Amino acid sequence: MNAVIGYYTTQFGELWEQSLFQLVEEAIHGALTSAKLDAGQIDAIFYGNMLAGVLDNNLHAPAKIAEIVGHHLPVFRVESACASGGMAFHLANQYLNAGAGKTVLAIGAEKMTDYSPEQTTRALAAAASGEEQEAGLTFPGLYAMMARSYLDEYNYTEENLAYVAHKNHFHGSLNKKAHFRKEISVASILKSAYVAHPLKVLDCSPISDGASAVVLSADAQLTKKHKHAQILSSEVATDSISLKHRKSLTEIYSSKLAAEKAFESAGISPTDINVAELHDCFTIAELFAMEAIGFWKPGEGGAQIKEQSTKFGSGSSLIVNTSGGLKAAGHPVGATGIKQIGELYLQLTGQADGRQVEKATYGLAQNVGGSGGTSVVSILGI
Amino acid sequence: MISPVKIWRRQKVVRERLGHRGKIISWTMIMVPGGDFKDVAPYPVAIVELTDGNRAVGQIVDYISEDLTVGREVIGILRKVRKPSDDGVIAYGLKFKPI
Repeated sequence: MNAVIGYYTTQFGELWEQSLFQLVEEAIHGALTSAKLDAGQIDAIFYGNMLAGVLDNNLHAPAKIAEIVGHHLPVFRVESACASGGMAFHLANQYLNAGAGKTVLAIGAEKMTDYSPEQTTRALAAAASGEEQEAGLTFPGLYAMMARSYLDEYNYTEENLAYVAHKNHFHGSLNKKAHFRKEISVASILKSAYVAHPLKVLDCSPISDGASAVVLSADAQLTKKHKHAQILSSEVATDSISLKHRKSLTEIYSSKLAAEKAFESAGISPTDINVAELHDCFTIAELFAMEAIGFWKPGEGGAQIKEQSTKFGSGSSLIVNTSGGLKAAGHPVGATGIKQIGELYLQLTGQADGRQVEKATYGLAQNVGGSGGTSVVSILGI
Repeated sequence: MISPVKIWRRQKVVRERLGHRGKIISWTMIMVPGGDFKDVAPYPVAIVELTDGNRAVGQIVDYISEDLTVGREVIGILRKVRKPSDDGVIAYGLKFKPI
C-alpha cells in the first residue's frame, strides 16, 4: 500500500519576498529533507497550480521544476481550480498504483498577493462558467447564493456560519505556518463587512501565498524506515460547472460522491475518522462538507457547528481543520489540497505539536474546485 | 480577454433568453467584484428559474431593495454587461428586472 513518508509546507501568508518558484523550491527541498531522500530518488513530480498562467504569464512549470531539482524526471502540472493540489496528490497516488514509479512527490503552490484583489478575484472567476463570469459573479458570490439557499431552507442565520470561522481561527492560532494566528469572536465576524451577501469578509478564506509538498512511496522497505501514514483511498468526482445546473444549491454533490467512493475503497465509515481537513473556502462550505461526507445529516450543520464539537480540545471523536482550514491557515489555492494531506500526515504520525489530536488513527481530506465542480476526497490511516 | 468574436458568439444564446419571465431562486449582492465590474459594484446577481423550466444567471437592475427576495418575478432584458473592449465593441448581455 502507498504511504505518505514526508511533508513540508512553507509559511502561508503575504510572502512578498518570495516568488512562486522560490516557494516551490523551498517546499520541494523541505519535503525531501523530511523524507530523508535526495531528488535523484524521486521518480516523478505532480505539481498543482491554478493561477500562474492567468495572473503571471508563467507556464511550463515542469521544466522550471526540473531546473530546481536538477534531474530529468517526468513532471506533471495539474489544474483543477482550488482542487489542483488534491488532484496532484490523487494522480501521484494513481501513478504509484499503476506501477509507473516507486516514490513520487506531490507539490502545490500559488502566488496570489502580488496582485490587486480585483485582479485576483477576476482570475479566480476563470474557474466559473462563462455565463457566471458575464453576470459579474465572483466565488464569494457563488457560495453566497448557496449560503442564502441553505440559511433559508433550514431557518438559520449568519451567526450559525460564523461559528465555523471562530473555530478555525482558534486552530490557526495553534499552527505557526498559518496565515492568520489570531482568534476571532463570533461577534466580530458578524460585524465584519460584506463581500457578497450574506457572506462577510470573516466568512471568507484569505488570498495567500504558499507552497506545500508531500512524498509518497509504494516502496515498503523505504516506508518502514519513516514515520508514515498509509493512503487508504483517494477518489475524485465532478459536477456541472454551472451552479444553475446543479441538483441542489444546498449541497456539494461531487463531494458526496467522492466521499462515498473513498469510504468504500478504504473499507471504513465516517464514524471512524478522527481528524478531517475540509475545504472551508467560505464558512458555509465547511457545513456543506460535513453533510456531504456524512459526518452530519443534511440540514444539521448550522445547529451542530454551534456546539463546537469539532473544535480542538472538545474531546469528541472528530476534530475538523486542525490546520486552521483554508479560513485561517490561508488558501494559496494550488497548495491547499497538499497542505490538507500534510496536516493529516502530521496528526497521524504524532507530529502536530500543540494541536495534536490524541489517538488519531484515520484522517480524511476533502478538496473542492470552484463551487463544487470538482471534489477530491482522500483517506489516510495508520 | 474579450474579443468581438466572443461577444458575437454569445449573442446567439442571449437572444433566446430575452423577454422570458422567471422567478429568483437565490441572489447575492456583490460588494467586492472582479476587475471587469469594479465600476458598477455593488450590484445584485441572481439565479432565475424561467417559466420554461430553464435557469439563467444575471444581474438584477431597476430594482428597489424589497425586490431582492427569493420568489420575486423578473423578466430578461438586454443590457450592457461590460465596459467596451479595446476594439470598441460594446458587450451586451442578459440582465433581469423586476416586474
